[in-house]
Amino acid sequence: MMEAGSSNSSGQLSGRVVDTRGKHRIHAELKRLEQEARFLEEELEQLEKMDTASASCKEFLDSVESKPDPLLPETIGPVNATWDQWFEGPPEAKGCGCFIL
Amino acid sequence: MSVSELKERHAVATETVNNLRDRLQQRRLQLLDTDVAKYSAAQGRSPVKFGATDLVCCRTLQGHTGKVYSLDWTPERNRIVSASQDGRLIVWNALTSQKTHAIKLPCAWVMTCAFSPNGQTVACGGLDSVCSIFSLSSTADKDGTVPVSRMLSGHRGYVSCCQYVPNEDARLITSSGDQTCVLWDVTTGLKTSVFGGEFQSGHTADVISVSISGSNPNWFISGSCDTTTRLWDTRAASRAVRTFHGHEGDVNTVKFFPDGNRFGTGSDDGTCRLYDIRTGHQLQVYQPHGDGENVPVTSIAFSASGRLLFAGYANNNACYVWDTLLGEIVLDLGELQDSHKNRISCLGMSADGSALCTGSWDSNLKIWAFGGHRRVI
Repeated sequence: MMEAGSSNSSGQLSGRVVDTRGKHRIHAELKRLEQEARFLEEELEQLEKMDTASASCKEFLDSVESKPDPLLPETIGPVNATWDQWFEGPPEAKGCGCFIL
Repeated sequence: MSVSELKERHAVATETVNNLRDRLQQRRLQLLDTDVAKYSAAQGRSPVKFGATDLVCCRTLQGHTGKVYSLDWTPERNRIVSASQDGRLIVWNALTSQKTHAIKLPCAWVMTCAFSPNGQTVACGGLDSVCSIFSLSSTADKDGTVPVSRMLSGHRGYVSCCQYVPNEDARLITSSGDQTCVLWDVTTGLKTSVFGGEFQSGHTADVISVSISGSNPNWFISGSCDTTTRLWDTRAASRAVRTFHGHEGDVNTVKFFPDGNRFGTGSDDGTCRLYDIRTGHQLQVYQPHGDGENVPVTSIAFSASGRLLFAGYANNNACYVWDTLLGEIVLDLGELQDSHKNRISCLGMSADGSALCTGSWDSNLKIWAFGGHRRVI
C-alpha cells in the first residue's frame, strides 16, 4: 500500500511516495529476528546445563538392546508368533499379478 | 521510525542472530565428546552379522504401472496403501499379495499417501496442493474412481508428505512446498494449526517430510530443503521446540526412533543422521564410504528395536541396512535375490516390526522379512 503522493500522467509515482508495504515488511522481519534471538539465547542457557553426548549415547544403547526385534539374527525375547507369518502358507505366494491399466 | 533506521536495526539484529547461532554451534561441538559408534565399540559391541539368506524378499506386490512414490502400513492387519506416478492408490493385503482397492485419483501427480489408524480411510496429496481423503468402503466405478470424502485445502504449495496422528482418525499432519506443516481436522476439513509460514518462525524452504512420535503424539518432526529438521509441539504452533542442524543438503526424510526419544533423517548430502530429542545432540552420522559423489537418501525406516536403519538411495537399487550402534553398513537389500530393478523411493516397517516394505521406481513394492535361524537371548 502506498502513502499519498503525486503521480504523473503515466501513473508513475513521484519521489515523495513512501512504500509503506516495504516498511511494514522490514518491521515484521525485524520482530521475527528479535524473537529468534530470544529463542537462541534460551537455547544457549539450556546448553549450559546440558549433558554431554556420551550420556545420550548410553541411553541410546540401552534403549536398542532392551527391545525384541524380528529382523535381527540375534534378539532378546519374547518372540511373537506373528514374526514368521510371512513364511507360512504357500511359499512365495504368486498372489494377484494383474496390472492396473 | 524511518525506513533507514529500521534497516539499520534489521542489520544489527541479523548480526546478533548469526553470532548466537555460531556460539550455539560451538557449544554443541564442545558437548559432542563421542558418537554412538565410538561409544558402542568402546562398550564391546560388534556389528550385526547377517547370513546370506537371513533377510529375504518374501513378496513382490505387482500392479502399479508407474513409479511408486509413497507407501504406508496399517497399524494392524498387514495392509499397505501405495501411491504411484500412474495416478492411483492401491491398497494391498501384504500377506496374500491381493489388491483390495485401486483408486484412480482426480489429480495424478501424487507424492504421498497414508492409512488412517482404523484402516478405513486413506489420505493422499501431491502437486494439486490438496490432501484428499477417501473412504475404503465407498464403491468405485469401473474405472476405479472413488468420490473424495474430504478435501483438505489451504496449502499454497505441493503436499509432500501426510501422516495421521496415531490413534486419531480425525487428525492428520501434512508438510508442504509452501514451507509450512498443517494439523488438520479431517471431520471439518479445516486447519487446526499452521506450523511456520509468513507469520511465525519456521522452515525457510520447502518441507519434504513429517514423522509423528508414537510415544508422544503431540510431537512431530519435519525435514526441509532448508537443511534443518524441526521438532514441533502441536499444542504450541508459534515456534518449533527445537531446530536440528548438521545436514548440508535438503532433508528428504525424517523418522522417529521406536522409543520416541530420538529420530533419524536422510538427506541430499548422502548421509543419514541420528539426533537426540531432549538434548538436541547429533548422536551419529551414517555416511557410506567411497570416493564417489554423495548419493541422496530418499527414505529411511528403523527396525523395531532401532538397531537397524534401512535407507534407500537415489541410485540404482541400493537399500543399505545400517547397524545404528556401530555405524556400519551390514547389508544391501539391492544385492539380494529378487531385489528391485530401480531406485527405492519409499520404505515402511510393519507395525509389529516383522516386515519391511520397499517401494520403487520399478513400479513394484516388495516385502522383506527374516527367514533365517533366529537366536533368542
